[in-house]
Amino acid sequence: MGEQIDGDLVIRIWTENVQDISSVAARSEETVRHAGGVIRSTSTLDQFLRLVVNYQGEVADLADALIKVPGVAIHSIGTTSEVIKDIGTPAMMDVKHGVGEILGTHGIGHVRMATESRVDVNHAHPFWAYPFPDITVVHNGQLTNYHKLKRMYEDQGHHFQTGNDSEIIAVYLAGKLAEGQGLKQALRSSLDDLDGTFTYLVATKDGLGYAKDQWSAKPLVTMETDDVIAIASEEISLRGVFAEEIERIEPQNSEVMTWLL
Amino acid sequence: MAAKGEEITVLNPNARHNLGVAIFDMCTIRFEGSVGYYAASMLDGPEVVIEGNAGWALGENMMAGKISVSKNAGASVGSTMRGGELFVGGDAGARAGISMKGGSLIVAGNSGFLTGFMMQKGRIIICGDAGEALGDSMYEGTIYVGGSIASLGADATIEEISEEELLDVLAALRDHGIENKRSFTKVVSAKKLYHYDTLERLEKSAL
Repeated sequence: MGEQIDGDLVIRIWTENVQDISSVAARSEETVRHAGGVIRSTSTLDQFLRLVVNYQGEVADLADALIKVPGVAIHSIGTTSEVIKDIGTPAMMDVKHGVGEILGTHGIGHVRMATESRVDVNHAHPFWAYPFPDITVVHNGQLTNYHKLKRMYEDQGHHFQTGNDSEIIAVYLAGKLAEGQGLKQALRSSLDDLDGTFTYLVATKDGLGYAKDQWSAKPLVTMETDDVIAIASEEISLRGVFAEEIERIEPQNSEVMTWLL
Repeated sequence: MAAKGEEITVLNPNARHNLGVAIFDMCTIRFEGSVGYYAASMLDGPEVVIEGNAGWALGENMMAGKISVSKNAGASVGSTMRGGELFVGGDAGARAGISMKGGSLIVAGNSGFLTGFMMQKGRIIICGDAGEALGDSMYEGTIYVGGSIASLGADATIEEISEEELLDVLAALRDHGIENKRSFTKVVSAKKLYHYDTLERLEKSAL
């Protein structure tokens, strides 16, 4: 599992108790160095730690070492992506984490209304596909075969960071991509392998996609021009992206779509 | 806000939810732009015109009146509607006319998955194609489809359309400027899932 990476990795770590952040930072740095990585930069912001490291080995080995550090939850490890999750409004996220200043090609976001698993920052979306770099998912719905799938992955030695069913979608897709499936193929497979209700978005290093369950149970609308694709649960969210009148598309049951860079 | 006979124009609705809900006075409301969820729901009397798209459950539980949306309607358009007429100029999403109990739902374009699910009365006209499981578990009412049907739902069946009915459908479409459709497939309940007595338990004991 995992992917050979040459170059810098960005690691996003969160810890529950803010007073632990300096010890978590120190021990995480030590763990990275021990794994053969070189720390380029370290920054902390209350419960959040961001490390930029040069690391040549297997990302899975590094991730496995980091989660053994007490208090560490890894929100993401990636070469091109970072997961930022917190409690508050999108405007507050922008002020606190500088989300609006990040330059890039694509991004996914989510506001969680918790239904089943624990309510904390760690259980918020997006979910990173531990330990695969640069694969993240946001999901609306409930997976009814979550526990069955989770047991199957755990039997294979996979480590889950949360009790949230959405985390398994990221892991599932990462597994399919690692097996050599294309993104669209992986999304199509998920329509058969995931039970329950879902509309989800996935972001990879070079792709973006959505899948919608066979019942069309959860909303999704898209608007697309030659330059921009915007996807949201509701049209009101897209109205802020496009000033002009753009055709709104509502994907139907069992539909998947991908965009590749 | 709305009073008898008034004409109201709403500018920049911006796809917001719950616009024009539970209005019982005879008036005309015009939305210049898209509306969000449950627009013009629980309506009893007014005429509502939407220049744009609608989100989920447009015209939910309408009792009487007229709604027309110029572009697409989201899922569950006209759900549980009991009367009046709802016209969609573009496509309708999944579960259009779910549990419909009367009135007319007309879709100029295509209609999504489970259209007419558990329909109990009324009429759905789809000029384009219907998605999978059309008319699933419908009790009563009629669905007319101008295009193809991806699949029929449980207990839905195709029945020969009479000339009189066809003329009725064509007349309803003509009111919306649709003249190019000439043939329709009629879908009704096969009633093989009917396991009900016609009387309620208390009614029976009264006999």
